[in-house]
Amino acid sequence: MSGPAVIAPVVAPGETAQSLTERICAVTLREGARPWTPLWWWAAFAVSLGLLGIGVIAVGWLFYAGLGIWGIDWPVVWGLDILNYVWWIAIASGGTFISALFFLLGVEWRTALNRLAESLTLCAALCAAIFPILHLGRPWFFYWLFPYPNTMGLWAQFRSPLVWDFFAILTYVLASILFWYFGLLPDLATLRDRAQGQGRRVFYGVLALGFRGSGRQWRHYRSVYAVMAALMAPLVVSVHSIVGMDFAGSAATGWHSTQFPPFFVFGAALSGFAVVLLAILPLRSLLGLHAYVTERHIDVLGRLFLTSSLCVGYAYVMDAFSTFYGPDEADRTMFLMRVFGLYAPVYWGTILLNIVFPQLLWWRSVRLTQPLVWLIGLGVLVGMWLERFQIIVTSLARTQLPSAWGHYTPTIWEWSLLFGTIGLFLTTFLLIVRLMPVVAMAEMRAMLRGPA
Amino acid sequence: MIVAAFATEAAMREAAAEIRRGDPGGVETYMAMEPGEAQGGAEGGSVLPAVMLCGGVAGGLGGFLMQAYATTISYPQNIGGRPDLSWPAYIPTTFELAVLGAVVAGMAGFLVLAGMPRLYDPVDLAEGMRAAMLGGYVLVARPADAARARQVLSRHAAIGIEDVAE
Repeated sequence: MSGPAVIAPVVAPGETAQSLTERICAVTLREGARPWTPLWWWAAFAVSLGLLGIGVIAVGWLFYAGLGIWGIDWPVVWGLDILNYVWWIAIASGGTFISALFFLLGVEWRTALNRLAESLTLCAALCAAIFPILHLGRPWFFYWLFPYPNTMGLWAQFRSPLVWDFFAILTYVLASILFWYFGLLPDLATLRDRAQGQGRRVFYGVLALGFRGSGRQWRHYRSVYAVMAALMAPLVVSVHSIVGMDFAGSAATGWHSTQFPPFFVFGAALSGFAVVLLAILPLRSLLGLHAYVTERHIDVLGRLFLTSSLCVGYAYVMDAFSTFYGPDEADRTMFLMRVFGLYAPVYWGTILLNIVFPQLLWWRSVRLTQPLVWLIGLGVLVGMWLERFQIIVTSLARTQLPSAWGHYTPTIWEWSLLFGTIGLFLTTFLLIVRLMPVVAMAEMRAMLRGPA
Repeated sequence: MIVAAFATEAAMREAAAEIRRGDPGGVETYMAMEPGEAQGGAEGGSVLPAVMLCGGVAGGLGGFLMQAYATTISYPQNIGGRPDLSWPAYIPTTFELAVLGAVVAGMAGFLVLAGMPRLYDPVDLAEGMRAAMLGGYVLVARPADAARARQVLSRHAAIGIEDVAE
């Protein structure tokens, strides 16, 4: 269904290492003709800070009043806290898939996207990491999750997927930060040498740690970067598999399924690619990146987006199939309630937003119509949130025992926490976009030079 | 110390190779991207992948033994009749800690071998070094025979040659 294959170049013709360095440094340093930070940035930052403020109030009140302010109760003991955690950690995956997996595959379109994608990963992983701690009830004891010698003589329960998840998130957040920062070192050095003001030189100079591009530094840099990428790719798959096992390890209806680990990896890829598109499409114009983020990138991301949507569709079909093929009456009751009951709009919203609308991306003309792609991406983020709602809430609301059935209504404190983390995500991302080089310059230079 | 700038990567490499022939270890090159293989830039490998492997093995092994110790010696618990040493359940944590060990070892090893953090270096005094991370090609020689090095540099069309005090 794609039109005749007119493949746009990965970099606009006429771009050189010189023009790239100038253009990207100008976005960050703003020392040329337009030294001020653009209005759109301040406007977005103000909105983000407002949302973040709401989140701070929500957390403050939670710490003061306790978990009772949330709508979770028996039998729906996991609500928006875990839902938002799973949603954010899935959003974080996109950067790692693009940056690590496609580095290993050696695709050239990855180079212009990896810095922004990795930054999105970092911000989303930060938001995700907050929720498991907040939902502990006594968050000041979160360090009990660490295996450390303690006077109580206690250890974490290493046979529990929830403890696996703690290690997975810990590793994922730390490794993502290190991978991102390691990739930044050469570009920070470029900014250090390019900056005019003393304060900026010191800022970027300290962050660059004295990277000077010597032969010795590059020789080790290349090896470490490649191995890190090779580790990050299976790491992201393991993290989402373990998130799936958080559910599959329980005997709750609808959760106890061996397909959950890959199901969650597919969902992660879908929301990851969606958020990369959501960020890239406006930033491409706002930061003037047309020369480096071309139609080719948008086309490729659209194809990946469609592919992951098909994978998620397969998982939904298998979920329904194994429920009705399997022996468990309670599973079937729960599933019918999911499809036709109180929460049916959530289920059908999921199907519509995650599976039906993304099918438009079969057409190349749709993939290149940016406002439409942006809307489909936004729809998928909402759809993935709804998917987690139906997985978590409907399963817990219809347990095996009909006498224990119940329902769940989130309170304003849960909603405000969700919007607070959206504020945290946007605030940190906007700061990164403003202060860090948005395109990996050193890698782009090597690509512009041609095949090594 | 002699600092020379070049217009192309290839010219810089040839000059560096020639100076190195008479005086190994007296030359370092600086540029803003990974040296290209085609330009003769692949100067030996790095020991760091092996270091990362060791870090990964240490992290994984340490993680596994920690879990085994915790569940068999320090705090054995009977959960649904499963054996105390229920090793399949340790695999996810073992894998995560192996990755963490490898990544941290890679970062730490890089900082050590790349001589970082190093916020000041005498080469910073050279004007030519300003261009190194902006897309230029800079060669820094600390030759035993300065006259010969200068000769080599001018023969390979160095753009600017500076003498910098150490």
